[in-house]
Amino acid sequence: MSVFKIGKVVMGSLFKKPATLMYPVVPREWQERTRGHIDINEPDCILCGMCMRKCPTNAITVDRDAHTWVIQRMKCIQCGCCTDNCPKKCLTMAQTYTAPSVTKVIDTFEIPQKEKAAGGGAADGKLQNNQDECIYCGICAKNCPQEAIEVNRDEKSWKLDEDKCVKCGLCTEKCPKKCLEIK
Amino acid sequence: MSKRTIIPFGPQHPVLPEPVHLDLVIEDEKVVEAIPSIGFIHRGLEKLVEKKEYTEMVYVIERICGICSFGHGWGCVSAIEGAMDIEVPARADYLRTIWHELSRVHSHLLWLGLLADGFGFESLFNHTWRVREAVLDIFEETTGGRVIFSVCKVGGVRKDIDNATLKGISEKLDEIRKETAELTDVFIEDTSVKNRLCGVGYLSKEDATDLCTVGPMARASGIVQDIRLTGNGVYDDLGFEPCIETAGDCWARCKVRIDEIYASIDLIQRAIEKIPDSEIAVPVKGNFHGEFALRMEQPRGEAFYYAKGFDEPTKYMERMRVRTPTNMNIPAMVKTLQGCDLADVPMNILTIDPCISCTER
Repeated sequence: MSVFKIGKVVMGSLFKKPATLMYPVVPREWQERTRGHIDINEPDCILCGMCMRKCPTNAITVDRDAHTWVIQRMKCIQCGCCTDNCPKKCLTMAQTYTAPSVTKVIDTFEIPQKEKAAGGGAADGKLQNNQDECIYCGICAKNCPQEAIEVNRDEKSWKLDEDKCVKCGLCTEKCPKKCLEIK
Repeated sequence: MSKRTIIPFGPQHPVLPEPVHLDLVIEDEKVVEAIPSIGFIHRGLEKLVEKKEYTEMVYVIERICGICSFGHGWGCVSAIEGAMDIEVPARADYLRTIWHELSRVHSHLLWLGLLADGFGFESLFNHTWRVREAVLDIFEETTGGRVIFSVCKVGGVRKDIDNATLKGISEKLDEIRKETAELTDVFIEDTSVKNRLCGVGYLSKEDATDLCTVGPMARASGIVQDIRLTGNGVYDDLGFEPCIETAGDCWARCKVRIDEIYASIDLIQRAIEKIPDSEIAVPVKGNFHGEFALRMEQPRGEAFYYAKGFDEPTKYMERMRVRTPTNMNIPAMVKTLQGCDLADVPMNILTIDPCISCTER
């Protein structure tokens, strides 16, 4: 390397803005799309378990009995699969990274139990099928995260296990005949 | 007669970015034979197809490699799309090409830094990685991730880049080209660098052909072989020309990768000019079925992807096979090590740009 080239690099290094950040004195600026960590809005969660099923690394555990949503932060790869598949859109990708740790961090979120509203909102209603229009295609059963629906095409039967149904509304969205309704 | 000695090299060694072990049979200061062994970081990612739905598998396949992750994701979704006869929108194809070529720029800059570090030029290493940082910032702005993007999905891409941001990227690339040129002059012309690279690790065109060498390693020995010439993605529309050298030594491999950085920047800028306005993804319905195989040009060379479904369509694939470029280049590396000086071993290993994580998966 010629003397002039070295001189140019040295002068540049002396007077240009540093390429590195004086972290942690200068905080990191996050981009709008930065995939930092998964956040949950607990009141909106219906514990349907879709995120748990779709997570490629099995980082999420949904316990309907204990009313908890648990994420293993070190397992999560921030792919955003859960946020895309959440029927209630209560999962979001936050910009900040989780703090470094020497232990496997597990975050547990308590999901508040839904009280039956006097007016009876959609989440408090019951899934109903207008069997006059139903073609027994089985798409609702295939998309049900809780496997609460059973469809038999030959016998033309449609059964719902009400204990399993979380009223996520996925079946109503996917139904080609729009004969499913939560009311 | 000099005595033969075996020197173990790796899996932990200052010049090795990833673990590979070599038993170097030495006579005086010359390497007589190199016996490679891998298997330190096998993760069994291909086996996971049995447990992960085909749409989720993309995120697993992306994590085969931390440097060319986007290419692996693209290869995986292309194999799935081919098997299921899914037509991807034109804009998604352009966006994939832009991200893939940006990955090539960042991969080659990373490699140039490691090479500089390998031959003991620390400040050149630091400056190369400083330039690379600008590419990583583009990734974070457009995909949300600096190394693993998770933007490729079956049927298209998950995130769009608006035209104003694309124009900004084009301007940033002009700056990156200028800064890279100052550094690559040193790699190409500096006497101390040439002393370490010129004439070292010679691989003839015949040997490169016989050993099935791929990627920049093959192109540095004069073989015109680049999968981008076969019409994958939108390279036909962008007027792609491969970068070829004929010297076959470490310097030629370095020169090919340097030329590819500029070629990739040109490709991205042409893609930004031509990108059409359209949807970025098509809905994908149904379970996985069919069988498909394709090749892709990764930064390190040709990679092969194969996807096969069960007889009855299910959410899962029966088999997903990935063959990575380093796997193909290890025989050539062993060949170049035979007869070289012990001091040149790091250069011979580094110039194949080994990615052992890819090789073992």
